[in-house]
Amino acid sequence: MTAFDANWSLMTPEIVLAALALLVFTIDFMTGIHGKKPFIGKLSVMSLLVTAVLVFLTNSTSGQIADVFVVDGFAMIFKLIILVGVAMVILISMNYLDRNEEIYQGEYYSILLFSALGAMIMVSSADLITLFIGLEILSISSYCLVGFKKYHRHSTEAAIKYVILGGTASAFILYGMSFLYGLTGSTSLRVIGEAMPQLFADYSVMMTISFIFMLVGFGFKISIVPFHMWAPDVYEGAPTPITAFLSVVSKIAGFGIVLRVMVFGFLPVYEEWIFIIAVLAAVTMIVGNAIALTQKNTKRLMAYSGIAQAGYLLVPIAALPFMGNFSLSMILFYSVAYLMMTLGAFAVITLVTEDAGTSDLSSFAGLFQRSPYLAVAMTVFLVSLAGLPLTAGFIGKAQIFFGAVSADLLWLAIIMIVMSVVSFFYYFSFIKQMFMTEPKANDKELQVPVSLSAVVTVALAVTIILGIMPNFLLDIFTTLNWFALF
Amino acid sequence: MIQNAWLIPVFPLIAFLILLFFGRFLKEKAAYVGIAGLGLSFIVSVMVLFERIGGETYTYVIEWITFGESTITMGYEVTPLNAMMLIVVTLVSLVVHIFSREYMHDDKRIHVFYSYLGLFSFSMLGLVLAPNVLQLFIFWELVGLCSFLLVGFWYFKPEAAAAAKKAFLTTRIGDVGLLLGLVILFNQTGSFDYGEIFAAVENGLINDTLLTAIALLIFMGAVGKSAQFPLHVWLPDAMEGPTPVSALIHAATMVAAGVYLVGVMYPLFLASPTAMTVVAYTGAITAFFAATMALVMTDIKRVLAYSTISQLGFMILALGTAGYVAGLFHLMTHAFFKALLFLGAGSVIYAVHHRQDIRDMGGLWGKMKITAVTFLIGSLAIAGVFPLAGFWSKEEILASALLNGDGFLFAIALVTAFMTAFYMFRLFFKTFTGEYRGGDHDDPHANDPGVEAQGAASVAEADNPRDDSVDQDRVPPAEDHGHHDAPKENSGFMTFPLIVLASLAVVAGFVNAPFLGHQLEGFLIQGLNVGAQPHGELWLAFLSLAVAGGGIALAWAMYYKGAIAEDFFASKAPGVHKLLINKYYLDEVYVAVFVRPTVAIGRFFWEMDKSIVDGIVNLIGRSTRGTGRSFSRGHNGQLQTYGLVSILGGLVVIALAFVIRGYFG
Repeated sequence: MTAFDANWSLMTPEIVLAALALLVFTIDFMTGIHGKKPFIGKLSVMSLLVTAVLVFLTNSTSGQIADVFVVDGFAMIFKLIILVGVAMVILISMNYLDRNEEIYQGEYYSILLFSALGAMIMVSSADLITLFIGLEILSISSYCLVGFKKYHRHSTEAAIKYVILGGTASAFILYGMSFLYGLTGSTSLRVIGEAMPQLFADYSVMMTISFIFMLVGFGFKISIVPFHMWAPDVYEGAPTPITAFLSVVSKIAGFGIVLRVMVFGFLPVYEEWIFIIAVLAAVTMIVGNAIALTQKNTKRLMAYSGIAQAGYLLVPIAALPFMGNFSLSMILFYSVAYLMMTLGAFAVITLVTEDAGTSDLSSFAGLFQRSPYLAVAMTVFLVSLAGLPLTAGFIGKAQIFFGAVSADLLWLAIIMIVMSVVSFFYYFSFIKQMFMTEPKANDKELQVPVSLSAVVTVALAVTIILGIMPNFLLDIFTTLNWFALF
Repeated sequence: MIQNAWLIPVFPLIAFLILLFFGRFLKEKAAYVGIAGLGLSFIVSVMVLFERIGGETYTYVIEWITFGESTITMGYEVTPLNAMMLIVVTLVSLVVHIFSREYMHDDKRIHVFYSYLGLFSFSMLGLVLAPNVLQLFIFWELVGLCSFLLVGFWYFKPEAAAAAKKAFLTTRIGDVGLLLGLVILFNQTGSFDYGEIFAAVENGLINDTLLTAIALLIFMGAVGKSAQFPLHVWLPDAMEGPTPVSALIHAATMVAAGVYLVGVMYPLFLASPTAMTVVAYTGAITAFFAATMALVMTDIKRVLAYSTISQLGFMILALGTAGYVAGLFHLMTHAFFKALLFLGAGSVIYAVHHRQDIRDMGGLWGKMKITAVTFLIGSLAIAGVFPLAGFWSKEEILASALLNGDGFLFAIALVTAFMTAFYMFRLFFKTFTGEYRGGDHDDPHANDPGVEAQGAASVAEADNPRDDSVDQDRVPPAEDHGHHDAPKENSGFMTFPLIVLASLAVVAGFVNAPFLGHQLEGFLIQGLNVGAQPHGELWLAFLSLAVAGGGIALAWAMYYKGAIAEDFFASKAPGVHKLLINKYYLDEVYVAVFVRPTVAIGRFFWEMDKSIVDGIVNLIGRSTRGTGRSFSRGHNGQLQTYGLVSILGGLVVIALAFVIRGYFG
């Protein structure tokens, strides 16, 4: 089969998004680099939505291009999450960019579109090379985005840190992959997966090293302990909407490839690695939540909270061999919940901290009096992150919890629930600030821009609807054809 | 009407929503929206109860979620137990709504207060109507959240904000156990439905050890919610909330939810003798220790708070000694007379300008007749004087403890009953008799080394390193209702609820009185396999009366007659007195043992992230630093540190993997 015989139409959404991103780029050049460009922001959101519709239309088709690029239910759901996530990040950004004039708006939007493209390729890849290319498109876009406030030392410093450590992570991943290629002569995850049991029997040391090196590299991307240290610094330095992007889109896409590699490559030898994943999950939950307790800066706090949340998401991966598709459904449900509650929270954080000129927790003082709607919405997001009932976060966590118990990982389940209680401490610090503190003397009623309140409203609605009627989403998952290749 | 039982929680929900959106425009009229909502709920509840008495259990469920292969349902159910609970909750909530109309009318956030009350009533009624434990758990968390909001309602007081957080987090500890228990239960039985769970238990599908574990984990939830030892510490601090809230949430309804939980899961507990023993002893210990602390408190609300803990301990004790009906019967009677006492206390506090120390009261009998008489009725009821409500239910609990065969439990119950009568009448005499000590002088005990809010404050210090910029000088607006004249009786909004509850405190006991044939018992145990209910003989009733009389007499001698000096016991055993007034130093112990270490662990990991790793880098050599110097100017080589730690982390993980695989031996 030559390249021309392949069913390239499977790549329609990616091709369209690439074209639209280039279009945005070109328009930006034509209109001059400076100044406010709300129309480019709107165009970018439209591009993402068009792509999302195209992705959705692939629902009925599933297939693959030469074992390199697959379109299946798994990829579809992840792509939708990514596209919606980036669209929401852009909506959060629009007002933020107008306040920070040193950011070149056109570049910012087009790079965000490219990052979405990278993430989409990543979750659709069935080949190590494609996977790596997608990952790097996403990563390099992210490095740029973190450093967009180029006259701010924190932002630049964060970008440099992120480049170096991200590069280290990529090196780990590549090195780990090289073992797989060396031993199988193929970069196809399908071939690797088929050869895996035999490989592990013959070259267990090398395979273990290969697995762990990739895990270390992916661990960076999804910020799990002990590969998390870049996260708080980078999150704090980055422009706030980009912090949201990193903690949601980047992280969920990272989980996408972890699952691809795990499921396609290493599932046959699961007993070799589930315990490691379980231990990492436990350590991540404990350290993330414990450090979050001590944080006073909202962005750093959300960074550690995001680390802890990554720990929760690792739990179903450890249960994957026992729970099968149910585990995937848990991960995706929680990903959607996480997307909504975290982006909702970041939308509020962006506005509030930008208004206060500081990202200290005290900027939330008396928010209930300044903007009751934002305060109530923020409370719902926090309560959902903490996992209280009637929110998407509760259903997501309860499923993970139940899955862990069913997979005989009771100890992990206990750590998870105890750590969620610890998380109440810091999530409730926000709530206490909003409801039980008087606003600062010169704080007026907060003006909420339309784009931002749209994000908050959508996130709020989804968080509550999924908390009350989770079957909306769960039913879709049960009908999915998860993987096209097996 | 029983098919429409779902309306009962919906009315308060509607009231909540109206007040949420339009409360700002309604202001004081918000009260009437709330009252109307609860009024309708109460009417429906009464109709449902009568229909249930003559009919069958009604269940309506719809499919909610599919978890793996099991389906979880949502809906509502009317059983004898929750039909009774519906009456208790709607009635107490209704009178509290009425009472608050006057009590809170100076507060400019009165509409917010009523919206919270509405949300709470909705949640509590939802909890009661739940047809499965998962739904119960969901509403269980919601009532906790409402309690958080209401305790912290006067957040200008730092103690109130701290108490709110403490209350919420302490009960969460119990909820860890509850959720874990529920998940294991679901894992074993594949269902959250009461019926299916009990069927699985009866058919022996769960092995005994696991069954005990599940029962105890679920009981942990009850311990947190019903403020049982050792998680009782949040309830006294929760008294920082407005007094009507204390009456509704922290006396009559939410705190009784733990008892209710044990009640609805009763077959599960019955199947495990070990669990029953733990339940019984937890109840007995709580009843006793809380009563000892009530003896020495000087804040009127804190005396009542410890009394509530103690009485909840009684209920738990009854349930643990197979007295299913006794425990739930006391739950009902206690709800009425304790709500009465709290509202009475609220009436007094309002009249004496928001002072709560009983040493500043006294002589109020002549000044506020209705409050005084109803408070006396409440005190007699809780002390267990014939023929008031508390007499009947307490006598059954004593019978339950006695017939269970454990003399120790019976003795503790008896001693506690004596203390109950004593501390209640100490409170009564100090408040209503003698001379009025409030006068002009402003709060003579303001600088007392007393204990008010001490626990809350010390916890607040430890748990919250970030200090909120609370304006400490502000006072709750309700404290500011103008008049500084002598105390006088309050308006009908406040006395009417007292009269209603006082009437119930008189008659509510008759529903299960032996000479009327134990009507409540016949109703509650319909269709349930909870064994024969213990009944005491006549001598027990007299013993119980004698104990109550003894307690009242001692209080009379000390605080009315003055035949025994007030500080007689305090001066004889100053050590004990100090121990009690400091609440056995439990708050301090918890802060030292749990709160500080948790925060310290967080700090430790943070320091690791920030600095300790720097040291490792220095150890390894300057070359690491040199390589990246061009990048690291100004941030101390943290970057290299992060990279290094991650690589080391990777190596540790590899080592772990090898250890698992056994390469190292």
